[in-house]
Amino acid sequence: MELINPAPVVHERKATRRRLARATLKSGEEDKREPIDSLEVFEHIRDITDPEHPYTLEQLNVVSEEHVEVDDAGGMVKVRFTPTVEHCSMATLIGLCIRVKLLRALPPRFKADILLYPGSHASEAAVNKQLSDKERVAAALENPNLLSMVDRCLGSSF
Amino acid sequence: MGSLEELQCLQGHSDRVWQVSWSPSGDMLASCGGDRTVRIWRHDAANPERWLCTAILEDTHSRTIRSACWSPCGRFLATASFDRTTAVWQHQGGVWEVVAMLEGHESEVKEVAWNPNGGMLATCSRDKTVWLWEVQPGHEYEVVDVKHGHSQDVKTVRWHPLGEVLVSASYDDTIKLWVEEDDEWVCAQTLAEPGVGHASTVWEVAFDAVGERMVSCSDDCTLKIWGCCRADSGEQQWTLLSTLSGFHDRTIFSVDWSKQGLIASGCADNAIRIFGQEGGGEQDQVDSAAATPGVWGLFMQQDSSRRPATGSSSDKASSSSDSGVATFRLLSTRQPAHPLDVNCVRWHPTDPTLLASAGDDCCIKLWRWHAAPT
Repeated sequence: MELINPAPVVHERKATRRRLARATLKSGEEDKREPIDSLEVFEHIRDITDPEHPYTLEQLNVVSEEHVEVDDAGGMVKVRFTPTVEHCSMATLIGLCIRVKLLRALPPRFKADILLYPGSHASEAAVNKQLSDKERVAAALENPNLLSMVDRCLGSSF
Repeated sequence: MGSLEELQCLQGHSDRVWQVSWSPSGDMLASCGGDRTVRIWRHDAANPERWLCTAILEDTHSRTIRSACWSPCGRFLATASFDRTTAVWQHQGGVWEVVAMLEGHESEVKEVAWNPNGGMLATCSRDKTVWLWEVQPGHEYEVVDVKHGHSQDVKTVRWHPLGEVLVSASYDDTIKLWVEEDDEWVCAQTLAEPGVGHASTVWEVAFDAVGERMVSCSDDCTLKIWGCCRADSGEQQWTLLSTLSGFHDRTIFSVDWSKQGLIASGCADNAIRIFGQEGGGEQDQVDSAAATPGVWGLFMQQDSSRRPATGSSSDKASSSSDSGVATFRLLSTRQPAHPLDVNCVRWHPTDPTLLASAGDDCCIKLWRWHAAPT
């Protein structure tokens, strides 16, 4: 099969600085639950494999920490992803992989919005609408072929 | 303003519950969902206040059961599934058995609805079509029409309480009204004009008690109230009366209109909201305007002076309408009603203060509506 983007630009996996986190906590706050932040959400999705290349979404610059927003108290996560080319027919599948990974990795109280980075795709509105329709997402995940594709992409991310 | 009291949480489903449906007499509640089963709930004989699961209908659908609908006689239950089939179950002698399988849709079946006299079924699907089935003797179901017209996934079908109109709503953001003309069902109207129709997926519609008004809910986070006007020829013409915007924070999956005139909505922000009509008390029976078709002429007149937001809990909330008579106000918000998305809300058919809801939390909840003392 012809590749959609035969020669993608590959970036290095960045080292992340873990927050000072616990070290800076005042005494008495040790038992407090650490809120989920954008770095933690990014960690869940950065190593998802691209559907057509042996690289991760981070290496292809499809996802980055700056494009993850988290409101822990409100239970909201917003991930904006950028396909490598703006006519990418894999955009829906990539978005579905991100959604499934977050469904599995985050507490169920979190509501995730998975969106294309504005202007990054020719069919941005249509892809966004499909990714936000939980009924269609549920139906897609009952399709064994699609589910195995998603699982293959997610295999590297756990 | 009123409040919802939680009466009971019904547990048993092992996956998201998509829909609940009261039997016509209200003695049974059917629920269905992602675990591919239907559960039938009834009063506990020993404790009439409590509801118990009395039957589990399984091993028929191989994927999610999205919808369940009772026949008007209460003896049959139709179930629509992502496995592309619709099953008809019969309840006889305390046993449930499948008496018919309706096949033909090319993709997931999203909703099934029995018409008011029980002679027809409508189904709709991801395949963009609406099918009409006629009930024949001997549990035979004959396809009498296949309606193309929606350009996307059809989310729901509902019958007008008098049965002469079938309504469908879709991922294509439109609502379509279908009527029978010379043995064929034709699209009489599409509610989709820019600035009037919904701006995203329409998930559900519900009629008021007499079928003169309809409410729709959408991914655009609004409810819209539509009114019916009858032309001299007897044809129905539906127009937008009111848009309730600013009340919901996420997709509204479900809406239901009680016989007493209360609108309940189920939302992806985990809340159930109750709306009532401005002007009349929320316990009003169907008001005189709704019962007199001629009065609906009022709503046809454009009124440029939009009413300011009323009865809202947030500054951005508004209920604009072409006539003050049709203004609804938010009476109550229960948040969270479920810890996750609320997928379905349904008023009890004979007890007008009893509400059932279903959620992504695998639970069904029963609620009692208490109107505030005036």
